[in-house]
Amino acid sequence: MVVLGLTGAAEYNGWSLSRINQVENVPKTVRDNPGAYRSTYGYYHRYIGGK
Amino acid sequence: MSSAAVTPPVVQAKSLHCPGCGGPVALRGFGHTLSVVCPQCHAVLDVSNPLVKILQRAQQAQEQVQPKIPLGTRGKIDNVVWEVIGFQVRQIEVDGVPYSWDEYLLFNPYHGFRYLSEYQGHWNVIRTLPLVPEQVPSVRPRLRVKGEIFRHFQHCEATTIFVLGEFPWRAHKGETATVDDFIAPPRMISGERMDGEVVWSLGEYWTGDQIWKAFQLQGRAPAAVGVYENQPSPHHLRAGTMWRTFVWMLVALAALMFYFTASARREEVYSQHCTFSTGTGGEPSFVTPVFELKGRPSNVELAIHTDLDNNWAYFDLALINQDTGRAWDFGREVSYYHGVEDGESWTEGSASDSVSIPAVPSGHYYLRIEPEMDTKQPSSMSYDVTLHRDVPTYLFFLFAFVLLLIPPIVSTMRIGAFETARWRESDYAPS
Repeated sequence: MVVLGLTGAAEYNGWSLSRINQVENVPKTVRDNPGAYRSTYGYYHRYIGGK
Repeated sequence: MSSAAVTPPVVQAKSLHCPGCGGPVALRGFGHTLSVVCPQCHAVLDVSNPLVKILQRAQQAQEQVQPKIPLGTRGKIDNVVWEVIGFQVRQIEVDGVPYSWDEYLLFNPYHGFRYLSEYQGHWNVIRTLPLVPEQVPSVRPRLRVKGEIFRHFQHCEATTIFVLGEFPWRAHKGETATVDDFIAPPRMISGERMDGEVVWSLGEYWTGDQIWKAFQLQGRAPAAVGVYENQPSPHHLRAGTMWRTFVWMLVALAALMFYFTASARREEVYSQHCTFSTGTGGEPSFVTPVFELKGRPSNVELAIHTDLDNNWAYFDLALINQDTGRAWDFGREVSYYHGVEDGESWTEGSASDSVSIPAVPSGHYYLRIEPEMDTKQPSSMSYDVTLHRDVPTYLFFLFAFVLLLIPPIVSTMRIGAFETARWRESDYAPS
């Protein structure tokens, strides 16, 4: 029952296992100057992929 | 077994004097007793006729054994009162290792004899069978009694190493019998061959606590050690219950999944087609127009579809609440490569990607998007970004399925372990 309850709660609240960071108080100036905002993931991880 | 409540009459035990030591010897088995052990000198006496003879001289050379249920103790089994009148210790030898067990002879003047056997805390209530079990053709010997199949478990040579009390046969130390055990837990059938005659008996497994309660013995029954040949598996019932519960839980989980799938809004809240190329200079990041997310807190699925071909792109993304300044910050990499190597085609990655942003409250939002591609060579791509509100995710249902599956699987594995432990002690031990 606990498992079912947790599953229902997860689905109802839209929980996710994705790696997503929450940031508070993002300045409103981001809309005017998007380049001024540097997120947690900016320049954090770069893919050098392919065979 | 009879279910009638019968209490043996209060009788004066017949008594005689031991011709060996002169001590008094009580007889409780009425005219059934053929041999009795003198409680003083432990000589085995033949009492089949008034002229009492010594069958076997005193057993004082052997270690004195104290029965766990003293002779003369009365207990109720299947609503019939039985009195313990005899006790013997029997032994088998397997690969040079002796194994011994205790046997108690029970008597009721109206119901005759029953036997109790005990091995390392495992008990059996045994009665002789008035019929010869039917042999069932099989690779391994099997018997059928009243429709129930008993599988052969063990063949051994049992030797009596100690006797006490009285018996309806000339019991004595050194008495041997060839024994074959057949099991159908919680029952077992034993065939004892002695002097060319086979006696079949049916035993039923009892726990020590049940025996202690039946005979109102002091203290606690010795704990059972290991798994006995006809011990019922405690896991069979548990596993059955668990699988039934699992099925019900699975039905509930499916109903839950159906409900959330049917009730999910999947509302498209934003969609944009964009292009990006390196080497053009300028600020790559931009923000989308403000859009509204409605309803209770739920997830937002962001999907990116690109036309990448043997290339990669990285997206630095932020879903920002214009009203509160809270942002959900994340990065996604999209790469798609393909080719032919050694005559075989291969692909790696995908030109599309999606991510679920958890528990986003209602409000006015915009998206900040900052794409990036390989700067070592001129690259360009076009891509679509789409946001959907309240999209069902099935990962938690998969987790729930796996979690619900664990208890019945563990229980089923325990059945296997229990049966392996049982048959390890048999003639058919798994290698």
